Amino acid sequence: MSFSSWVRGTRLYFHMVAASIRAQMQYRYGFFMNILGWAMSYAGTAVTMWVMLYSFQSLEGWSFWQLIFLFALAVLSWGVCVIFFFHFRSLDQYILNGTFDRFLVRPIHPFFHFMAMKFDVGAFGQLLFSIAAVTLAYIQLGLDWPFWKWGVFTSAVIGGTLIQGGILVLISAIAFWTTRSERFYWVVMFPAKSMMNYPLSLYPRAIQWVVTFILPFAFVNYLPALLLLDKPHPSFSSYWGAFSFAVGLVFFSICYQIWMMGLNRYKSAGS
Amino acid sequence: MGIIDVNHLSKQYFIAKRQEGMWGAVRSLFHREYITKTAVEDVSFSIEAGEMVGYIGPNGAGKSTTIKMLTGILVPSAGDVTVGGLVPYRERQKNARQIGVVFGQRSQLWWDLPTIESFELLKQVYAISDQQYRKNMDTFTEILRLDEFYQTPVRQLSLGQRMRADIAASLLHDPAILFLDEPTIGLDVVAKERMRTFIQEMNQERGITVILTTHDMADIERLCKRMILIDQGRVMYDGGLSKIRDRFGKSRILIVDLEKDTQLQVQGAELIRSEGNRKWLRFNREEITAAQLIQQVSIQADIQDLSLEEPEIDSIIRQMYEEGLSVG
Ligand SMILES: Nc1ncnc2c1ncn2[C@@H]1O[C@H](COP(=O)(O)OP(=O)(O)O)[C@@H](O)[C@H]1O
Ligand SMILES: [Mg+2]
Repeated sequence: MSFSSWVRGTRLYFHMVAASIRAQMQYRYGFFMNILGWAMSYAGTAVTMWVMLYSFQSLEGWSFWQLIFLFALAVLSWGVCVIFFFHFRSLDQYILNGTFDRFLVRPIHPFFHFMAMKFDVGAFGQLLFSIAAVTLAYIQLGLDWPFWKWGVFTSAVIGGTLIQGGILVLISAIAFWTTRSERFYWVVMFPAKSMMNYPLSLYPRAIQWVVTFILPFAFVNYLPALLLLDKPHPSFSSYWGAFSFAVGLVFFSICYQIWMMGLNRYKSAGS
Repeated sequence: MGIIDVNHLSKQYFIAKRQEGMWGAVRSLFHREYITKTAVEDVSFSIEAGEMVGYIGPNGAGKSTTIKMLTGILVPSAGDVTVGGLVPYRERQKNARQIGVVFGQRSQLWWDLPTIESFELLKQVYAISDQQYRKNMDTFTEILRLDEFYQTPVRQLSLGQRMRADIAASLLHDPAILFLDEPTIGLDVVAKERMRTFIQEMNQERGITVILTTHDMADIERLCKRMILIDQGRVMYDGGLSKIRDRFGKSRILIVDLEKDTQLQVQGAELIRSEGNRKWLRFNREEITAAQLIQQVSIQADIQDLSLEEPEIDSIIRQMYEEGLSVG
């Protein structure tokens, strides 16, 4: 792809995203409720975690504020991911009501077109929340990262966005085969995200293995947090945490390929 | 070779048997039972640049499925399609530049935004120059009176307004070929007429090749010299409209409301339905005129109200079956 088509693509993305935001603002009440809803749901999770963690003060050798950091890191990349990819889970709706057809008769890439259709402004509420949580943990833990650790942190956020975005893309691809996707979000993503709020060493070996090598959730927060907080990994080098971005890139492109494979099987909807 | 070439085109849908509940859905990922539904079967035709062709058939005949293969939305199960020299589903983005598509039942506009914003977004999507955009918008606004509802969100438009906006949107990038799937469905008489006039003008003045599906006979009579008639996925007829009409379109139905329920005895017409005081009489307009028929009826009973119906496409097709015509 040439440079000018990248520029055009980026401009187009912003145009469409702006349209999506204006569309969401048409429903003013819903718009603010959405933002509030996201913030509330995370505040809720945070309170629950707080209460739980506070009662044991430490878990698997993780201190209270370290646990908060682990949690906040996951929420941070999830927040970014939600903004761009959250609507992928409801691809089945787009297919059933026939909206998806239009992505195939326009001169832009269908994946890109679908991605640009929605931009979840509500998720900003959550993003602010998690930035605050990370900052607080950073201060409480008295951290003072050298430059390379900020690199690891950035790679974890971008990589985490790509990994979780990849899972959402994968979930949406299921709709091409089964005409269903939303419900798989609730079986796969929801439990996985709750699990990630705690140190992975709590879980059975098989699960740890799956989330490291197959659905690489471990690279979203657990592995980078080990490295950033100077904690040893029970079996691997803690430098694994530096590879979130690379893992995210590879994983996302695999998911994208599967989505494109699904697209070839697209059946549209009966009228 | 035409601008559109279709050879032995078929499409099968594999419809999975629904499995209930969450586990059903998970199980269905690995093991599924299918029912095969052939929607389009061995269809071939060729369309020249500048033609306006009616693709006609009753509900479920396979019209939309064919259009979806021609526009690149669906991948054919068998056979070949080329549109403007491209295989639509292989080169979707290139194909998108040369075609315009309107689906009567669903809008392609941004639902929640003022109508004008959809046009501005499409300008970006198709990278239309300012000059071309202005020129087209001026023309379309004048003919279709888009300015009446520029600022109204698409979801609040009436069906007629929405169709006007949708067809204008599909032509913004000056496509060579326009696909219209049921462009007049659900519209009132005035809105239908406005649509037809616009379509005709685009075909005649801009030379746009138009393929339109419909099951409204009046659309075809008004717009198409050529019609391709399909039923149950197969082409039943491909040719001029006049031949079909001469052969099958001569029957008319006279509906009369009588003062009181009377046993009618009429010559040259067949009583096909009777509901209380209302009677349906089918006649052949070459054998008897409506006036003659009305006169016969009025001798036997007082007529309160009457109307004349043209045969629907469905009944023409039924008649074709009965009389066994299948012109390839
Ligand atoms: N996405 C789909 N999945 C399964 N069956 C479909 C689908 N779309 C259409 N069909 C079936 O294929 C047949 C032809 O449908 P369609 O092409 O929509 O007909 P028409 O447009 O002429 O009414 C119908 O029996 C319809 O139920
Ligand atoms: Mg149809």
